[in-house]
Amino acid sequence: MGKNSKDKRDMYYRKAKEQGFRARSAFKLLQLNDDFHFLDDPNLKRVVDLCAAPGSWSQVLSQKLFDGKTAEEIKDRKIVAVDLQPMSPINHVTTLQADITHPKTLKRILDLFGNEKADFVCSDGAPDVTGLHDLDEYVQQQLIMSALQLTACILKKGGIFVAKIFRGRDIDMLYSQLGYLFDKVVCAKPKSSRGTSLEAFIVCIGYNPPSDWVSTLDVNSSVEEFFSGCHMSKLSIHDKLPSWQEDERTIAKFMSCGNLESFDSDATYHLDDFKEDLNTSLDPVQSPTNPPYKKALELKRSGKLTRAV
Amino acid sequence: MKELAHYGPSLCVKFFKDFVVAGYGPFVQIYDYHNGKLLNKCRVFRKNKVHGLSINESGQLLAYGARSVTIVKFDHLITQVSLVDNEKMTTEWITSGEFNYRGDQVYLLTCYNKVFVCDLTGEILSRKTLQGERSILYSGSIKEFSPEKVYISAGTVMGGVLIWDLFLETKLYNLVGHEGSIFYATISDNGRYITSCSDDRSIKLWNLQTGEELCTGWGHTARIWNLKFFNNDTQLISVSEDNTCRVWDILQDEGNGNTSLTLSQIYEVHLIKNVWGVDIQEKDMVAVTSGNDGRLKLTKIQDTKTMNAQEVSFSLEDISTHSVIKFSKGEIIKGFQKFEFGLIAITSLGKIIQYFECDNLWKLLLVSENLVSYSVTHGIMEHNIVTFSNNKSDALLLKLSQDGRDIIAKKFMHLDELSKTNNCLVTKFDATTLMLTLESPNPRDKFICLQFDLETLSLKKKFAFAKPENFASSCLEVFENYILVGSRFSSIAIFDTLNIEHPAYMIRRISAGDTTTNIKFVETKGHTHLFSVTNRDGFYNFVALSYQNQTHQIIHSNNIVKGFLEGAYFNDNGEYITYGFKSNLFYIYNETNCYEIASQVCGGGHRQWKLTTLPDGGYMLVYIKAARLYMRKIPQSLFPQTLEEGMHGREIRDITILKDKRYHDDGFIFCTASEDTTIKVCHFNESTGKVTNHWTERKHVSGLQRCKFINGKYMISSSAREELFLWEINDDYKLHPFITIRQTLPASSDNPDLRIMDFDAIFLEHSDNFIISTVYSDSSVKLWYYNTDENKFHLLVKGRYQTCCILNTALIIFHDKLYLLIATTTGYLVTYDVTDHIPFGINETKNKLIDNKLETCCVDLPASSLSLRVHQSGIKAIDVFKDEHNDSFKIYSCGDDNAMAITLFKFDEMKRELNNTIVSSEPNSAASTVTSCNVFDNGRKLLSTSVDQVVKVWDVSNNHLTLQEEKYTTIADTGASDTVSGRDDSTLFLIGGIGFSVWKTD
Repeated sequence: MGKNSKDKRDMYYRKAKEQGFRARSAFKLLQLNDDFHFLDDPNLKRVVDLCAAPGSWSQVLSQKLFDGKTAEEIKDRKIVAVDLQPMSPINHVTTLQADITHPKTLKRILDLFGNEKADFVCSDGAPDVTGLHDLDEYVQQQLIMSALQLTACILKKGGIFVAKIFRGRDIDMLYSQLGYLFDKVVCAKPKSSRGTSLEAFIVCIGYNPPSDWVSTLDVNSSVEEFFSGCHMSKLSIHDKLPSWQEDERTIAKFMSCGNLESFDSDATYHLDDFKEDLNTSLDPVQSPTNPPYKKALELKRSGKLTRAV
Repeated sequence: MKELAHYGPSLCVKFFKDFVVAGYGPFVQIYDYHNGKLLNKCRVFRKNKVHGLSINESGQLLAYGARSVTIVKFDHLITQVSLVDNEKMTTEWITSGEFNYRGDQVYLLTCYNKVFVCDLTGEILSRKTLQGERSILYSGSIKEFSPEKVYISAGTVMGGVLIWDLFLETKLYNLVGHEGSIFYATISDNGRYITSCSDDRSIKLWNLQTGEELCTGWGHTARIWNLKFFNNDTQLISVSEDNTCRVWDILQDEGNGNTSLTLSQIYEVHLIKNVWGVDIQEKDMVAVTSGNDGRLKLTKIQDTKTMNAQEVSFSLEDISTHSVIKFSKGEIIKGFQKFEFGLIAITSLGKIIQYFECDNLWKLLLVSENLVSYSVTHGIMEHNIVTFSNNKSDALLLKLSQDGRDIIAKKFMHLDELSKTNNCLVTKFDATTLMLTLESPNPRDKFICLQFDLETLSLKKKFAFAKPENFASSCLEVFENYILVGSRFSSIAIFDTLNIEHPAYMIRRISAGDTTTNIKFVETKGHTHLFSVTNRDGFYNFVALSYQNQTHQIIHSNNIVKGFLEGAYFNDNGEYITYGFKSNLFYIYNETNCYEIASQVCGGGHRQWKLTTLPDGGYMLVYIKAARLYMRKIPQSLFPQTLEEGMHGREIRDITILKDKRYHDDGFIFCTASEDTTIKVCHFNESTGKVTNHWTERKHVSGLQRCKFINGKYMISSSAREELFLWEINDDYKLHPFITIRQTLPASSDNPDLRIMDFDAIFLEHSDNFIISTVYSDSSVKLWYYNTDENKFHLLVKGRYQTCCILNTALIIFHDKLYLLIATTTGYLVTYDVTDHIPFGINETKNKLIDNKLETCCVDLPASSLSLRVHQSGIKAIDVFKDEHNDSFKIYSCGDDNAMAITLFKFDEMKRELNNTIVSSEPNSAASTVTSCNVFDNGRKLLSTSVDQVVKVWDVSNNHLTLQEEKYTTIADTGASDTVSGRDDSTLFLIGGIGFSVWKTD
């Protein structure tokens, strides 16, 4: 399969290359914004992008918050992108290579914001998928909860939190938990996210934690402990392992994002569906990453991993 | 509704005494591994899957999975159906759990690297953690060396393995060296080693005393999920995403003291992809593995010593040293035949030599000048007969005494009528005779078949048949009075011994074109005889032959996974066993249930070889490699090969039941279409839900989208790469249903890159001809006519909706019109009136089309007559129900937007047009994507499945969606379902995703 056939099969891949985005996921944030307009708010100042590498969401944030804006509009605007992996620089974005669960990271961001709270926090992070659906969904939810911990310490009241989710068997549990912290929780599926994928995004609007709850990041306390006391009853610690009980579950409103004219990520396009010439092949923007199994691939290529002993 | 049976991923498995204990979804299943019997299936969790097990000596079992944990008595587990009342919850995902040595406490390691020490009632006695390290774990294990010394091995997502002391809560090491997440880490019993595996596909061994990395093992081609030390910590067994389990030897170099990990055995144990669990019973050296395919596989772990004892090999030099036989320089073995006493071989100088297995001795039997340089060797093992032929039209037959010591009959023949011979085949003909065929390269020469007495070797009869064109004999089968000879170019010639003058009945080009390697009689039905025919190119076919009518039909066709196919047969369980070569291996494979029985490195095809079934059920493979003669015994396994057969290793995308009739009067045939690119043909028992696998069809090269029986004999499947196949099923025979491809839908380009998302068919009256609508990922809509007699698809209508992908289609006859419906990724239901675009009339009462004998031609898709947005995003499935008074029809739909809807279509008599309206919709019908819906109970009920793993039944009798019943399913990625009416007004549901289950309504 050549470069072009992937372009035909996946218009967003093609578009990302054309527009200089590091990954096609940039369109997911753009399409979420088309419906929610959270990035079009003139009062939006401080923004945090968690699990940001390779940086396509930060690119969108930078574009939306700075491109073509007046000096007045961009006054006090600040984007901080955090990831454990290093990231190449993006205009108007301060990148931090740091652990989102660590209190030090929180302090660094707050320092960058001059101790002001953030207006918007987003995370497009996803763990390695093992194929064990329950584990993969759990780890993804833990990742969201970790992002949410930091968010709870940094987001202003009324702020917005957006994160990637997998809509599996326990997604309604997550919706229910988020309901304790935000006024409104929507499950949004941008058109650029494939229909065959379990991926979607939670858009949590109006950060509104319980008034009696104090959030403190501590490296030795678990996510469960962090959120205990915030009406997330299941997260409290018992002295005796409790018997099984059904978790609280709620279904969040579903919203398809991106207008009908947006490309369909499940469709195969024809060359003549567009004015532009699909035959011009574009090189990928991001050079391929180094997978952990790089050496195994090399051994396989050189015929060293064969069936015979 | 209740679940009758469930097949799906098994994540953990353990030996305990004479039992195999497996976590199977939310159940613990216990088997007697000696006879393979399932002793009990006990539900331990309500929703969570059992991810891990630990059993202590006093018969307590600890099971954990996700946040659930339970401690139960083994005695209860083996007798009770459910122990869910005992299920306890923790606050975090449990990564590992073990009993302490005394058996009165358990350690539970969570994914946040915390350990709860609990008593057996679940009371937390203490909580331990490693301060300052809060990485999430994918894996970990607990090793108790003494009540005071417990070590935790924790595999982080950042490539490090943390080894820490539980009670001191101190870190011993952070072992760094792997790339990517650590998927398993464990400590050896003797306290010397730690072993770990990661996303980098390697296994590392570390010194527990020093923390230094000792060595790395490479071999797995995908991620490794589990590791276990065995054989006094001198060996490791690993299981992986690559479907294999591998045995590694931990070797210590006595010179420099270096340790190495050497791969010693590879077993292909599961279907793509993922082997999750492994354990070893060292007493019998048998491993049990559990996989995503739901299979529980037992594998005898061969140690080098036993392996060596089961193989003997000789060069002519060796034979010479161990006997008085002398060989000349350049003399080689030309052929051999296995016998119970040993073996008979012939050399290039015509020396016929004999091997006696019991005393490991070689003896010269005789020397034949006639058999110098070229010879072909065959024989009949059970009658101690060996046959030789040369290229000068000679044949020599020898019969030996039972012990092989004496020649008790001998027959030499020369055939004057053949100018030259180049091939000879032998088989037993009837109770008292054998048939030997001789063939000359001269096309004008006759094909000679000689019938000899099995006792005296006297010639009973000679048949000289006219040789068909393009014929070169390759294999032989006899049946009644017929001789079936396989040939090159995938052909078979059938000769009638009662009618020698009759030209051979030829079956040509059965598959692509290589040599027919094996023909086996299967069964007879009426005047039709069924034969299994294998082809070297990897295809196997079942040919139904009616010699009387001089007709035949290929009723089954399939190809093996990989490699050359040399033969196949049905074993006593009715399982189809295939054998042949792949790369440098000889394999024996259970094709019915898709697992390797044995494999032997032999250098690959292109060599002299013979496979013999031994009286005890084992095999003997004799082959020549680098001028050495090898005799490899493959013993019959002392245990069953599997405890659970399992199904697909990846997602089931669609299910279709053959509803027209029951199979074997106790259930139904069904097909499953999977992401793994195969279609399985199975049947289920309607009272127990038990699934029996019949075939795994491998014609598709891409992940399946749909499969659907369109009548009692045709099934259609579609997938990416624009593949759509029309299959014909045949369930006339006792042994198995058979299925073969009748026709392939033409693709729109030479390099098809479209997915055929769905199709629907309507038949013409009084025929098996039908029209079919197909919808594509590029928004194309096509309508075809299939004519059975011509066996051809004709394109009738083509067009494109817009540019979005179309997910579903239906053809509906309503008010003397034919409507083509499509459902899109944008959530629209779009209706086309194609009545005037097809060359057929409409018989509404019969719901069929009328053949008006008009010409077929291709026209453009008309403009849509109705378009209605029913869902916010992709419509995942639709079902159609037409009410009995024909006033309306309904489309039930479900979507990615968590919603379900009923759209009512009515015909406006005034305006003479169709209109539609959404009469009921349920936006939050599930917490996530609703993936399938099936209307049943004569339109009164609707079944739905969704990715949140809830199966729902809705009452839709008054055009309104009213939830009637819901139940959790353990099948993840729930995505396919079909229903069929059972006995006593019940309905049976088949539900698929990652796993498969059979449900029944009350």
